[in-house]
Amino acid sequence: MADVAALSSFLVSAVGLAVPLALAALGETVSERAGVINIGLEGSVIWGALGGALGALAAGPWAGLAVGAFAGGTTALLFAVFAVRLNTDQIITGTAVTIGSLGFTGAVFQSRFGVTGLALELPTAPAWEVPLLSRIPVLGPAFFDQAATAYLAYALVPALGWFLFRTRWGLALRAVGESPDAAHAAGVPVVRARTLAVVFGGLTAGLAGAHLSLVHTGTFAEGMSAGKGFIAIAVVVLGRWSPKGVVAAALFFGGAEALQFALQAWDADLPYPLFLALPYVLSLAALAGWFGRSRAPEGLGVGWPR
Amino acid sequence: MSTRARALGPAMATAAALLATLAVAAALLALGGHPPGDAFAALFRGAFGSWDRFVSFTLVRATPLLLTGLAVAFAFKARVWNIGAEGQLHAGALAAVAAAVAMPGAPALVLIPAALLAAAAAGALWASVPAAMKTGMGVGEVITTLLMNFVALFMAQFLVQGPLRESRGVFNQTDEIPAAAHLPDLLPGTRLHLGFLIGVLVAVALWLHLTRTPGGFRVRAVGASPRAAEVSGRFRVRPVVWLAFLASGAIAGLAGGVQVAGVTHRMYEGLSPGWGYTAIAVALLARLNPLAVVVTAVVFGALSAGGGAMQRDAGVPEVWVRGIEALVILAVLAVDRSWQALAGRGARG
Amino acid sequence: MNTHGSVPSAARLRDVSRRFGPVTALDGVSFDLVPGEIHGLLGENGAGKTTLARVLGGLLVPDGGRVEIGGRVVALRNARDARALGVAMVHQHFSLVPRFTGFENVALFDRGAWTGRGAAAPGYRDRVEARAGELGLEVELDVPVSELGVGARQRIEILKALMSETGVLLLDEPTAVLAPREVDGLFAVLKEVSGAGTAIVLVAHKLDEVLAAADRVTVLRRGRWVLTEEAASVSAGELAEAMVGGAVGGGVPGVGVGRGKRVGWAAQVADPLGGRGEGADEVADAGPPPVASLRNVGTTRDGRSALRDVTLDVRRGEVLGIAGVDGNGQRELARVLAGVRTPDRGRAILPEEVGWIPQDRSGEGLVNGFTISENVAFALHGRDACRKGPWLDWAGIADAAAELVREMDVRATSSAAPASVLSGGNQQKVVTGREFLRSGNLLVAESPTRGLDVKATVAVRSRIAALARDGDRTPGVVLISADLDEILELSDRIAVMARGRLVPVPRDAHNRRDIGELMLGARGADAP
Repeated sequence: MADVAALSSFLVSAVGLAVPLALAALGETVSERAGVINIGLEGSVIWGALGGALGALAAGPWAGLAVGAFAGGTTALLFAVFAVRLNTDQIITGTAVTIGSLGFTGAVFQSRFGVTGLALELPTAPAWEVPLLSRIPVLGPAFFDQAATAYLAYALVPALGWFLFRTRWGLALRAVGESPDAAHAAGVPVVRARTLAVVFGGLTAGLAGAHLSLVHTGTFAEGMSAGKGFIAIAVVVLGRWSPKGVVAAALFFGGAEALQFALQAWDADLPYPLFLALPYVLSLAALAGWFGRSRAPEGLGVGWPR
Repeated sequence: MSTRARALGPAMATAAALLATLAVAAALLALGGHPPGDAFAALFRGAFGSWDRFVSFTLVRATPLLLTGLAVAFAFKARVWNIGAEGQLHAGALAAVAAAVAMPGAPALVLIPAALLAAAAAGALWASVPAAMKTGMGVGEVITTLLMNFVALFMAQFLVQGPLRESRGVFNQTDEIPAAAHLPDLLPGTRLHLGFLIGVLVAVALWLHLTRTPGGFRVRAVGASPRAAEVSGRFRVRPVVWLAFLASGAIAGLAGGVQVAGVTHRMYEGLSPGWGYTAIAVALLARLNPLAVVVTAVVFGALSAGGGAMQRDAGVPEVWVRGIEALVILAVLAVDRSWQALAGRGARG
Repeated sequence: MNTHGSVPSAARLRDVSRRFGPVTALDGVSFDLVPGEIHGLLGENGAGKTTLARVLGGLLVPDGGRVEIGGRVVALRNARDARALGVAMVHQHFSLVPRFTGFENVALFDRGAWTGRGAAAPGYRDRVEARAGELGLEVELDVPVSELGVGARQRIEILKALMSETGVLLLDEPTAVLAPREVDGLFAVLKEVSGAGTAIVLVAHKLDEVLAAADRVTVLRRGRWVLTEEAASVSAGELAEAMVGGAVGGGVPGVGVGRGKRVGWAAQVADPLGGRGEGADEVADAGPPPVASLRNVGTTRDGRSALRDVTLDVRRGEVLGIAGVDGNGQRELARVLAGVRTPDRGRAILPEEVGWIPQDRSGEGLVNGFTISENVAFALHGRDACRKGPWLDWAGIADAAAELVREMDVRATSSAAPASVLSGGNQQKVVTGREFLRSGNLLVAESPTRGLDVKATVAVRSRIAALARDGDRTPGVVLISADLDEILELSDRIAVMARGRLVPVPRDAHNRRDIGELMLGARGADAP
């Protein structure tokens, strides 16, 4: 019985940790399907976390989530103005956006709350229990007693699958990612499509950040994104650019992170930095394995001069 | 565009980028409630206020930026997107400390080269993982080098908390390296150490390599067009990519070794405030030219040295400096684009 | 509605201009298009014909002038605007998404494929198949287009363009990639389409083809209109002169190439095959020792055979022409001959250094950002003569580059000029000159004149010809080209590449029709 309870609480924690990765990675999937690799995703996550914190302090957790998404989307828009509109190098632009976001979120945070280092206490978004489904043994509480962000992530999987593979706009978006010249010749507005895809990715990455501050921790700390945005990009590769695959990969990483917490709780003398490194090492190992060979959209990372 | 305009272009574009950065930074500072004039004045005083400020602060802080900047510039020149200088620097610092601590009685002439070689080797080793993944499995290096940074940070944390923890057992840091391993001072009475000179020598060596040797020509060719390198140059691209990874990693590792041997004399958590990332701005502002990196590293060293003064004297949090670094990169990108648009590089009909 | 005359125009350009930076691509050009006509648009490379087509197709916004479609002045901002007005375009470099199936590519372009809410429209698939049947287009709809041959891709492209009502169909160099019989098939389809009232613009630079298919012809030169004539009332010679703006030395490609007749230098050269290889049905034959030999060479690429059982010999002083439709293994053969690709099967004996003029000039033959000297250094940087100790002797390389610029008649201010400022022809001269530097024994020339104007074509061809007669230094030349005229003009022996196999062409079959049949026939024979 104790084992079942332990498993159950492990799963709850795994799903909770997977949600921000899944949100950010689903958005990045759309962006990469349109041919843009956004390393600035990490910047969207940290701005989402700060925006979430400020919004929640001003008007409660729901406003916080909205402000977080907006902040993430705005960050991505800045990236898109450079990398899509001005057609600057995507990698370098994304790196700059991430560096700047880490710096300026710190600056905003310090000017608003000082440099005292006191932990901030935020109103958190509550978990919603889904009637009936949450009663399923073990899996029920893990998947159906989570915050709103989790349900949004679930809903995005079929929605994005339908959008990308069953609609005209999805076909156009994928065409932009595979071959921007062909898409342009077919009358698809390449710059607008790429910009919208990137901004969508920023919105979900912002939500992922808000999840970190308003669901996961209830506080904000400088640099709290801690590479989540980067891992999300690895998750997209492992999920082979499909919404279902991406969510599966996100759950895998959520599990790895939960395992690390569980092991720490189990024996405090274990060297915890090694466990902290675990998700990153796993990402590398998975990329090196058979996953790495799946085919990216052909136009990924390639600029398109108008 | 005439040849003279081409030669003049980079310098003017760089100046334009710096001006744009200054303008945007001033606007943002004003928006954040900090009078930009005061902030810039404090920053300038902190960086150039006296000979000692310049040498012992600006140049000392420029040293790791110089080496990591060179590491990034060389890799980018070969179109190897090494975003992993931060991790390679940590690996180098750890290796240098471990090597120096392991040979307590050795003389400086043995100890210093041994520590720096160990640092370079460790940096190259750290870079070899993404290199193998790129050349062997086709996994892009951007994500892998980024992930390796986190692994390096946590590994450093683990080592200074455990196996390499100081024998006193008070702080999470290593023992101090033997005095014979300390880099000698470059200018008496200042804190500037041999590391800066090493950086300048590496810059000159890289420049000579890139512009004057067949190997450097290959690196530039691969960076400009891997397909042309293979078809027109008839040489294999893969060894060149490996060289770029390993050399870049070694130089970034050397940066870590130079920092512990020249300044901190031990390894601890948070040794680097993100030099490996700032290095990207340093390299880009220099347009990947190794000699120009010497200048841009000093510019960013001044930002870093002045950042503390800005916080102390003008009340502007030091993290602003990170934001300004990002502005520099974006300004360089934007100015380059408008430069091209002005030059009218259009397609033909 | 129409006030200009008895025949209403399908489309009309008035004084249209378009600049790209310092280059004026179109300079006050006017152009009329009548419903139901096939209108040939001729001109050298850079004459502005593609630009004109792109303006009409909505892909380029003109700087000045007026565009009328169906009698009304319109402002086209993009391809969608043009499409909405019934203007469709088939591009030179196909605008298909390689990984999409034929059906997906058709649906991407066609508003009718979707319901108002963006979901797939029911019955659309049937409509696509019906339309293909109507037009007599054989298309494969469920295979990623990257797996289709060039002709099959072009048919998808045409179907895509004609799915909805189309008043104007623009085709940019549609025959450049096709085998002769496929060209006939294409023209049959075009006659069908124009018969139904669609006006067709056929952009081309091959005179004989345009004269065979078009009702009227317009010639552009350096962005300006030169003439518009009924095709029946104008000769190839007149058109050639109009295109070039003066008499051209040597043979004009595509003009006057009768069956088996040679133009230019080749006619003057004594047949080096005389007395040997009579009726040889092997590409390897008896004779003096070859400079390069392949024996049963095979390669595999992405799990598929790229080259199968290829055997050939190349000797000094001869040009071995390899004809074939693009994408039948020619690239792989060039890579093997150049020593870049090691065969997976069979044996290759090759000289140490091979000259190789690659097909993709700007992507593989040159680095645009490098100076001419640096591009020449690709051939020289490994030589001991170009080093001083560990250093590259840049002064020596610059001297060699300057000499190459003089010898090849490259129009450049100096050898320190970047390759990007050179025209296509001058770029190709640099590549050709550089590859001559390393071609003591074997020169592989892959489509060496593709995309060049008439003058540059003549220059490059005569250089290759001269090289093969250059005394002791004469290398063997392998000329790989999809341009049959070029092959016939330059080659001593000819073989056809089809589906990765090399089929020798007997001497009595050195003509367009027989080689054309081999290009397709061998393909058919190999099909499962």
